Amino acid sequence: MATLWETNAGEIVKALSAERRIAGAVAFGVVLTLVLVVDERRAEEAMAAAAEGAAAHPCRLLVVIRRRPDASAARLDAEVRVGGHLGTSEAVVLRMYGRLARNAESVVLPLLAPDSPVVTWWYGPPPQKTGVDPLGALATRRITDTAQAANPLRALKERGADYSPGDTDLAWTRCTPWRSVLAAAFDSITGQPATARVEAEIGNPSAALLAGWLKCRLGIEVDSASSAGPGITEVSIRVDPAQDILAEDAGGDEEPVEIRLTRHDGRTAVLARSRQPERYLPLARRETGDLIGEELRRLDADQIYAATLAATTGRRIAATPPTASQISRGASNRRSSPPPRTPREATIERAARTRQGRAD
Amino acid sequence: MTEQVPVGAGVTVGARGLANPLRDPRDRRLPRVPDPCAVVVFGITGDLARKKLIPAIYDLANRGLLPPGFVLLGFARRDWETGDFEAMAHDAAKNGARTPFREDVWRRIAESVRFIPGSFDDDNAFDLLAQTLIDLEATHGIAGNAAFYLSIPPAAFPLVLKQLARTKMADNDERGGWRRVVVEKPFGHDLPSSRELNALVDEVFTAQDVFRIDHYLGKETVQNLLALRFANSLFEPTYNNHYVDSVQITMAEDGGIGGRAAFYDSAGAARDVLQNHLLQLLALTAMEEPVAFDADALRVEKLKVLGAVSLPADLEGDAVRGQYAAGWQGGERVPGYLEERLIPPHSRTETYAAVRLGVETRRWGGVPFYLRTGKRLPRRVTEIAIVYKRAPHLPFTATDVEELGRNQLVIRVQPDEGVTLRFGSKVPGTTMEVRDVAMDFLYGEAFTESSPEAYERLILDVLLGDATLFPRHEEVEMSWRVVDPLEEYWANTTPQAYPAGTWGPRAAEEMLAAEGRSWRRP
Repeated sequence: MATLWETNAGEIVKALSAERRIAGAVAFGVVLTLVLVVDERRAEEAMAAAAEGAAAHPCRLLVVIRRRPDASAARLDAEVRVGGHLGTSEAVVLRMYGRLARNAESVVLPLLAPDSPVVTWWYGPPPQKTGVDPLGALATRRITDTAQAANPLRALKERGADYSPGDTDLAWTRCTPWRSVLAAAFDSITGQPATARVEAEIGNPSAALLAGWLKCRLGIEVDSASSAGPGITEVSIRVDPAQDILAEDAGGDEEPVEIRLTRHDGRTAVLARSRQPERYLPLARRETGDLIGEELRRLDADQIYAATLAATTGRRIAATPPTASQISRGASNRRSSPPPRTPREATIERAARTRQGRAD
Repeated sequence: MTEQVPVGAGVTVGARGLANPLRDPRDRRLPRVPDPCAVVVFGITGDLARKKLIPAIYDLANRGLLPPGFVLLGFARRDWETGDFEAMAHDAAKNGARTPFREDVWRRIAESVRFIPGSFDDDNAFDLLAQTLIDLEATHGIAGNAAFYLSIPPAAFPLVLKQLARTKMADNDERGGWRRVVVEKPFGHDLPSSRELNALVDEVFTAQDVFRIDHYLGKETVQNLLALRFANSLFEPTYNNHYVDSVQITMAEDGGIGGRAAFYDSAGAARDVLQNHLLQLLALTAMEEPVAFDADALRVEKLKVLGAVSLPADLEGDAVRGQYAAGWQGGERVPGYLEERLIPPHSRTETYAAVRLGVETRRWGGVPFYLRTGKRLPRRVTEIAIVYKRAPHLPFTATDVEELGRNQLVIRVQPDEGVTLRFGSKVPGTTMEVRDVAMDFLYGEAFTESSPEAYERLILDVLLGDATLFPRHEEVEMSWRVVDPLEEYWANTTPQAYPAGTWGPRAAEEMLAAEGRSWRRP
């Protein structure tokens, strides 16, 4: 590990390759850059989770820690870590003081691994507009976690209002095992979904998303109920016999079928289906590292999440990537003074606004 | 790009095969999970079952890839209760699992394991098995779905298959679910015997319900070979006889014959490895692009290329076999093949086989494919090396390029799964000196998520009914057409001895040297 005081991106790049040589890692196998935005006091736990997720996807981990943004002098301290518990990954912890904290992308940009995807993960409250935040705009995927918010359901609404392709939320990732079991159960069901109900701890964003997913896929309203938890405790769906001829020909059930998936201990679930014996299956709550591992597996926009978020929050979601003008406008919102622009950039930006019928 | 809008009220859920509203091809987070089903393993007490099958089943369960109604049924001639079997399976899973062993995952599996004692000629045992499968429909909702894994010597096949036919357990329609059978190599010992075996299996099960396991095809790197060839534009233009000089396919083992003396002595390296693994690798290396990545399209291309495989007109010098003698291997003194336990002292079975094949297509005409396999070689390695021709003209002096070899594209199947590209590069310094360097892609590095064991993938595919990675009987028969003449030529000859721990007999070196080539040291 190398520690650099009052440094800059150029020196960090040098330190990184020096560390890599010392560690004996000759080949460069990093497939993506993970930018982790976190508070000093939660940095270690977040990095441990990131390292676990990165075990499956070697990455360059850039940890952005903003300290004393109102300090008068801008300063950058860095720690460079290669190998060890990070496996084949490498990490740079960046501590930014003063005004630099508000221009973090100036340090992050030169440190991105060449020509590979960038994922930004806010461990803690995300910025208002993740897609136009400078650290969010440079990423192809943006990871938030509404479950950490003081009011998760309101945070989910904000995610819905803010959505841009490439967004994802760990509350959604936590749904995957539930969705997987439910989808498998539906493989052998014929009929018309009639009612559905999701029961969970009060204010659980994953339950809201799961209900939104069912609503969006099955085309029915989904009831919510509260329980003592932990997390989601039960999902039940009733499917009535099919009414149209086509489905009858396919040989459907003649009586309603009810599927009930229950989990009270956060570890093992019971799957009950009408006229069939109950089945037990492992359905454990997952660690953050595991969730990050799943998120890093795919690096394109998750359209199912977008549709689900729309159904959950009742907002229409823009499916097109933010335009250049939105990004630069958003970026300028965050700064105290507008960023310097080249004449060419200004022209492009004006043209983009004109196209949207909002010429200045 | 438009977003998926809510499907709207009144959607009707289809039966299996019609759309499941909860599934969407764009939803790649959801894994493919098979229908509730039972896996019946014959020979559950054997090595393969303990070391590979049971751990693979545990790993699948741990990754959430088994359906909730999954049942594992063991069948063997042991005086066991289900409890004994469960204890054995527990230990096997714990020792062999690739993923972390978690007791609560195991408990879920343990609740649905059953053991049925009996020998293969015991009608009562098979009646009990059939009844158990029927009972499981009520208790586990398996809906008649079952896969039979024949982890038994081929000699026992007819007996078991007859029992399955008698009890109608192999009949798809009988219980309304699917019934599949999984067969391990050897698929016969020559063309007639493999035809006989295929006829026997196909008589009891329908052809598309027969899954022949060649575990090499379940390996990530072998599947990556297809991605490398057909997903990239970089390699295809040079992937032909204009640029390729030769292809070397190697499967080396450092171990001896272990506990397989009886089988091995009757088979030998060519039947044991060359006929199946090496020829399958050759087929995937040399085949044309399939029109789709599915079982049928892949089979068509593999059959075409296997049909185009030619043996040298004169096998003398182009087909070599060897047998290891005592020697030092990896720092240990090891006995020769003839001194191994249960091997007849005058056995003429080969433990090493190398052959020069041709592929008579426009793409590969004139490019030799060198295949070799052996036991007690210096290290365990399987790889495919595409060796390129030298540049037709080098503007450097002969001394500058003295250390420049031929460019190579090497697909390392195991271990260190990955791809290596070898090419010339200037040695730093004031002189112009060109030397070979290697550029490595290491699977374990770019995707360190430990690749699923081959068996894990293949068992899952059987349960999903996906036959893409399984050779069909036509391919097996086509492979025997290649191997049978070799065996005929070798009959009544004595294999050349090679000391254990070396890269095979001298004749194999000479085989390549005669054409100005040499084996790559893997």
